[in-house]
Amino acid sequence: MISLDHATKLYGTVIGVNDVTVDMAVGMHGLVGPNGAGKTTFLGLVTGQLRPTLGRVRVFGEAPFGNPRVLRRIGYCPVADLLDRTTTPLHWVTYLVRLAGFGGREAATRAERALDRMGLAAAARRPLFTLSKGMRQRAKLAGAIAHDPDLLVLDEPFNGLDPIGRHELVEFVRSWSSSRSLIVASHLLHEVESLDAGLAVILGGRLVASGTAAEIRGLIDTLPGEVRVRCAEPRRFAELACRLEGVAGVRVSDDLVVVTTRRPVAFVEEATTLAFESGVRLREIAAADRSLEGVFGHLVRLHRGAVT
Amino acid sequence: MTAHVDAGAPVRRLLAASWAVTGFQLGRLLTWPRLAMAAVGAVFPAAVMLAVRRAAHGPLPPDLAVVTLYALIPEAICMLGLLVTMCPAVADELERGTWPHVATRPRGRRALLLGSWLAAVIWTGTVAIVATLLALTVVDVGRPVVVGCVFVALTALSCAGRGALFALPAVILPKRALVASVGLALVGECLAGTIPAVVNQGTVSLRLRSLLVHWLGWRDKVPAEMQLFIDPQPPAVHLAAVAILVTVLLTAAVVILERRQFPPGDEL
Repeated sequence: MISLDHATKLYGTVIGVNDVTVDMAVGMHGLVGPNGAGKTTFLGLVTGQLRPTLGRVRVFGEAPFGNPRVLRRIGYCPVADLLDRTTTPLHWVTYLVRLAGFGGREAATRAERALDRMGLAAAARRPLFTLSKGMRQRAKLAGAIAHDPDLLVLDEPFNGLDPIGRHELVEFVRSWSSSRSLIVASHLLHEVESLDAGLAVILGGRLVASGTAAEIRGLIDTLPGEVRVRCAEPRRFAELACRLEGVAGVRVSDDLVVVTTRRPVAFVEEATTLAFESGVRLREIAAADRSLEGVFGHLVRLHRGAVT
Repeated sequence: MTAHVDAGAPVRRLLAASWAVTGFQLGRLLTWPRLAMAAVGAVFPAAVMLAVRRAAHGPLPPDLAVVTLYALIPEAICMLGLLVTMCPAVADELERGTWPHVATRPRGRRALLLGSWLAAVIWTGTVAIVATLLALTVVDVGRPVVVGCVFVALTALSCAGRGALFALPAVILPKRALVASVGLALVGECLAGTIPAVVNQGTVSLRLRSLLVHWLGWRDKVPAEMQLFIDPQPPAVHLAAVAILVTVLLTAAVVILERRQFPPGDEL
């Protein structure tokens, strides 16, 4: 469905997206990365707003930039808030549907249906400036789905939504992706993780990891991590820890031993056994953070050069 | 996969989308500050003519009154109206955060430009025509019906031509479109339009002046030295020239806008 082949986007001398190669099949995909990582540029390339400086972008088998055949199959909800506040959600969504090529009456019907689906029917005729940020977010989402696209692209869709709104959005996204395709970009990994989507992690314009949540979780075993150990004899434990395979460094402070290892999961098991056999009593041993947030945080630090 | 409505008849769909943009842009203009500005624009020529009559201790000769009104309405009011309605066509979308919504619609960019141009022409044209009607009630122009009809036609041509002219800065320099358009109006229309050489053939102002002279039958009244500033060709030539100019300028603006890319930071 979406294919980027060594796609690079430069803004003058600033790199937006750097040599990204990825194939996204029909289905749900999450794009995660911190602010300024290149998510919006990536989505700009996919939604035909931007043209790659180098490389190739294909959506539904065609270059999306300025291509009506592709654009009519895409629904895009951008990150920017709607500041056209004198208009109403109904007026705004009807306008967008008309721009998508529908007649006036059909556009109004579709707009009402989309606003209803997003739970905004009661506020459809109120000026946007009287709506909360979450409601404006729903109006944007209604505008993205009203013309029935095959691919829905959401940039930070959870912004401004309260917990109930987030839950409803997750439910909507799941129901949508059961029959269509979807890309959700967010800087909050747990939000995307909750969607059970395929994940792509983008940092500094580069795609640093992609796959299922389980595959990305598997990165933990290949990336160096820290194991924190509290015990009565920290220096003795540190000495024991140095004997184990994969240990890259040990720091001791009071009763705390912090071990840096390339095999954090295996280390916990081996260190526990070794300590027991050596008579060193452990009070606490905590392996590297196994959540995706942990991997994400590590990749960010790795990218910034904070760890090697 | 979903069935999509605009698989055929792309031109019809483009026109429909452009019309949707026109309606939306006119709706945006219907705010109290904009209406107040339009009201000032509509009253301004009549107020100026009254002030001139008072200063001159009597009415101006009809032909001089017509020339003054021409300078005030198809030239000044239309230019100013178009500056505030056409120049922000793209910048407004970027500032309001609506550009990504429009740019990701099939033919959204060209519909935005054509629709905004039409909205600017309708809005400014309406203000200019109301200004003409008000001015004709306070000024003796000899043949008010004929002058009124001529001014309506000149207003329409001025709005169409200048609107297309200002479309270029609107797409090339969206954030500085107003400044660029003022420069373009001064150099491209006011200065180049009065140079009696080939360069003035590409200006709207030459066509408007020539049509004014022709339609009011002033050909023989114009002093010899002023003949340099008009083109003696028949009205059809001038109308065709404006039509070609509008087509070329709008096509160029559409082509440029279709290729424009705004980094995410340019929005807001």
